[in-house]
Amino acid sequence: MEGGASYARMPRVKIRELKDDYVKFELRDTDASIANSLRRVMIAEVPTVAIDLVEIEVNSSVLNDEFIAHRLGLIPLTSDRAMAMRFSRDCDACDGDGQCEFCSVEFHLRVKCMTDETLDVTSKDLYSSDHTVVPVDFPDPAGMEGSENRGIIIVKLRRGQELRLRAIARKGIGKDHAKWSPAATVTFMYEPEIHLNEDLMESLTLEEKKEWVESSPTRVFDIDSVTQQVVVVDREAYTYDDEVIKKAEAMGKPGLVEINAKQDSFIFTVESTGAIKASQLLLNAIDVLRQKLDAVRLSDDNVDTTEQFGELGSHLGGS
Amino acid sequence: MNAPDRYERFVVPEGTKKVSYERDTKIMNAASFTVEREDHTIGNILRMQLHRDPNVLFAGYKLPHPLKYKIIVRIHTTSQSSPMQAYNQAINDLDRELDHLKSAFEAEMLKFSRDY
Ligand SMILES: [Zn+2]
Repeated sequence: MEGGASYARMPRVKIRELKDDYVKFELRDTDASIANSLRRVMIAEVPTVAIDLVEIEVNSSVLNDEFIAHRLGLIPLTSDRAMAMRFSRDCDACDGDGQCEFCSVEFHLRVKCMTDETLDVTSKDLYSSDHTVVPVDFPDPAGMEGSENRGIIIVKLRRGQELRLRAIARKGIGKDHAKWSPAATVTFMYEPEIHLNEDLMESLTLEEKKEWVESSPTRVFDIDSVTQQVVVVDREAYTYDDEVIKKAEAMGKPGLVEINAKQDSFIFTVESTGAIKASQLLLNAIDVLRQKLDAVRLSDDNVDTTEQFGELGSHLGGS
Repeated sequence: MNAPDRYERFVVPEGTKKVSYERDTKIMNAASFTVEREDHTIGNILRMQLHRDPNVLFAGYKLPHPLKYKIIVRIHTTSQSSPMQAYNQAINDLDRELDHLKSAFEAEMLKFSRDY
C-alpha cells in the first residue's frame, strides 16, 4: 500500500504577462483550494525584510517618534535574501536583539534642514549596512519623464528641524504585520465558460440584442457590425453578476446564455510591492507552502508506529 | 492591552506538538488530528486532497475559534487504509503537485522570456 497509488494532480501554467512587479497567469488542472492557499501564502507567509526596531537620537520634526517608526516600517525593502535569512526569534548567532548578519540589517538616517525651503526626508536618506537590502527603487511610470525619482517621503522638515535615527530591519511575514507582506494584490478568478444560444438569439430583433448586450455592467458581449450577431468579446470581463441572465429572463428568453465557472481553471494576477519580483513571489509561495506541509507530516515523533501497524494489522487480519 | 502577542499565531509553544491525533473510540479507522498554529491555508488543501483518495470515507477540518491558533482535521477511512496513512499520503501528494507546479512555472517563465 505504501508508495502505491498517488492522487496528485499535475497542474498546467501559462503566463500571459510578466513584469518585475506584475505577473498574470493561467493555472489549470487543479482546484480552488490550491489556488486559494497559494494566494493566502503570497499575501501572509512569504517572508520579506522590513524595519522593525527604531532608535531615535534626535527628532525635532512635526511627527512624533512612533509615527516615524511606523512610517519607516512600511517602506518596502529589497528582500531577495529573505528566504535564506533567519527570523530573529530563532537566530542562534545572536541573543535575539536582531543585530547580526543572519537575521537583521542596520540602517542609519541623519537629516537636518538648513534652509528656508521645506526639506523632504525620504527612503533615499536611509543608509543600509547591506547593499542587498535597500529601500525599493520605484521606476517612474512611462510618461512621467524628467521628474526625478525622489523615493518615499517619511517626513518634511523646516529650517532647524532635524531627524537622526538608527533602525534595524528584520525578516518577518505578513501574518505578523502587514508591513512584511510582499504582495500589493493577489487575486484569482474562475475562468468563465460562456455559451450563447444562437437559435434563441436569432429570435431577437437588433434593438433587443443591443438592449441585452448593454445590460452587462462590464463589456462582455458586443454586436458584430457586419453580421449583426451577438458575440463574446471579453469573457473574462464577466464578473459573475448574473445581470445578462436576469435580463434574458426579463425579456422572456430564459436560456439565452449559459455561463459556467470552470472549477479547475484560474486566472491569477500577482502584484508585488517591489520587495521581491512578482514571479519570485509565486515561486517563494510554493516553497513556503511545501515547507508548511512538511512541518505537519506525521513523524515518528508523533506516531506510535507499533500501535499504528498493530491496528492496521488487526484490521487486515479481521477483514 | 491584553491582546495576545502577534507571534502566537504562528510560533508553536515549547512543549507542544505540531501534530497530534486521537483515534475515535467508537468508529473504526476514524481519527481527529490537531494541527497547531495552522489555519485554512493548510486545512483546506489537506481536506480537498483527502477527498481525492477513494479510501477516505470522510475528511473535514475546522478552525475551532479565531483566537485558538489550531485546526482539527477529521478523517474516516475504509479498512484498506488508516486515517494516519491517508493523512500522510495527502501531504505527499500535495507536495508532488506543488513540486510539479514549481517546475511548470519555471519552464513557462523561461519560455515566456524567450518568446516575448
Ligand atoms: Zn541573529
